[in-house]
Amino acid sequence: MRNFEDDPTLSDLLTPDQLQRLSNGLSALCRAPVVISENRAGDAVPVEFNLETVGWLSGGASAVERGAAAELVSFLMLFVAKYRLAANIHHDTTEASYAELQRQNEALRASEAKYRELSDQLQQKVDEQVAVIRQTQQELYESARLRSVGHLAAGVAHEINNPVGFISSNLRVARDYVQNLEPLLPETAENRELLEDFHDLLNESIDGTDRIASIVADLKTFSSIDQADNALCDLNSLLRSACHLVQTEHDHRLNITENLAELPRIPGHPSRLSQTLFNLLDNAARAVGEDGRILVRTLADNTGIQVIIQDNGCGIPETIRSQVFDAFFTTRPVGSGTGLGLTVARDTVRAHGGQLTLDSQEGAGTRVVLSLPVQQGS
Amino acid sequence: MPDFSPEDNKLALKVVFYGPALSGKTTNLMQLHSLLNPERKGELMVLETRDDRTLFFDMLPIGLRSRSGLDLRLKLYTVPGQVQHDSTRKAVLSRADGVVFVADSQVAQQDNNAIAFGNLEDNLDKVGLDIDALPMVVQFNKRDLPAVVDEAELQARWAGTPWAPLAMASALQGTGVIETFRTLLDRLYTGIDAEFDLAGKHGIDRATFIGRLSASHGVDDA
Repeated sequence: MRNFEDDPTLSDLLTPDQLQRLSNGLSALCRAPVVISENRAGDAVPVEFNLETVGWLSGGASAVERGAAAELVSFLMLFVAKYRLAANIHHDTTEASYAELQRQNEALRASEAKYRELSDQLQQKVDEQVAVIRQTQQELYESARLRSVGHLAAGVAHEINNPVGFISSNLRVARDYVQNLEPLLPETAENRELLEDFHDLLNESIDGTDRIASIVADLKTFSSIDQADNALCDLNSLLRSACHLVQTEHDHRLNITENLAELPRIPGHPSRLSQTLFNLLDNAARAVGEDGRILVRTLADNTGIQVIIQDNGCGIPETIRSQVFDAFFTTRPVGSGTGLGLTVARDTVRAHGGQLTLDSQEGAGTRVVLSLPVQQGS
Repeated sequence: MPDFSPEDNKLALKVVFYGPALSGKTTNLMQLHSLLNPERKGELMVLETRDDRTLFFDMLPIGLRSRSGLDLRLKLYTVPGQVQHDSTRKAVLSRADGVVFVADSQVAQQDNNAIAFGNLEDNLDKVGLDIDALPMVVQFNKRDLPAVVDEAELQARWAGTPWAPLAMASALQGTGVIETFRTLLDRLYTGIDAEFDLAGKHGIDRATFIGRLSASHGVDDA
């Protein structure tokens, strides 16, 4: 590209028409025709501009005429060149300014796009955070509620434990007394029937108190009222208690097969683990209905513990499978499910450094695998 | 940057008179035009003015021809000093081989000097020139006016810069203008000679370079 300051050539300064007209004018002034050209001819004299020879002037009747004509042309060139230079620098600066403007415009666009993206990201982050806060709040509320219910149950269980204890022991003593009284009674058919009935009544009552005592024990395990927040947990015993409670909830109609391997005790949060196992078993129980089967297995290897709860119930339709861990997602009628069971279960397992995976096929059943590491960070 | 065309054996150098508005850049050039009598001198082109203010630039070509046939040209430019002509200043400044910074000596103009000098630094940077490497002379003009900053104070202020000592001038009176120009030629020669071997190849030593380009009427040598 030529710079505005480059020395102009004759054709830069004058068009052929203008050059012709200039030659004609000079020819008319001189006694012989004059020719201005970029090429040197025989008797030509230089036409100078800015110390530069821009052309050659030949013709004219004498050297004096040629010299005068060349001087006149140089003089004209000065003004033509002035205009040319001004126009060139104006063009250069205008182009430079325009390029600069375009660059700024582009930079502005880029920065605007960047800020828009940032703003979108920010909004998305805020939304995510709001969702997390909302869920955490709900879980907190839920866990506080469960804890208070657990405390109540444990308190009631503790209070019942004493009377059940003496009722059970009294009943056994009463049964001995009845045996002692038996020989003293006259041997009649009526008496014998009465005594047998009495015997049965006492035995049934003893069975009843035993069952009360076992429920009370389960409740205490479940709510872990006697345990610290962080303790070494025996998952098998937590699992057994949870099974009993689920049976109680479902009137002992469930077909639960327990296949428990020996497990190392792991550090953890017993009541939360119990709650998790209960939630998973309760889901299975609701899925199988009247005549399904639930298989509960535990396994251990040197990396960790696995608890597998498998049912042959209705399964989870594929359309909702991605949502089952979402908070407040439930398929149960309004009021009967919180939509938090699996959410809390997964969060609890994660808090213990483990994983909860779910395998399901609609109509065939569901398999939940809960893996917990033996060694934990916390 | 020097523009050398080997086919014409022509070396063109560019010197730019820079400075704040109304500091006397065009006056410097006009005085050089009338005072200098170098070997070759072209017309002073005052391109366009409005109310005596430069709109585009002024240009004065001078030159010499060495015995070796080297056609050495020096084009002296002024820039428009007014703030709004910055893109023109930048265009004129590009590819400069030397700069004369014409500052205004008046006390009230010192801020404008500083702003213009900052502008020179910026623009040199934008056109890819390094102010520390570029041959430059700082001239404090208008010494003939009453309310000017004391010369000793100015010299002391600039003592630590590559541009000390300062040139003092009164362009309107024609004093100091040629001296400023000679100082610039002196600083310019070093780099040009190193690049084109003016002394060795073309027989132009430092004194010849300065003397023949800045010969003034009546006096033949510097």
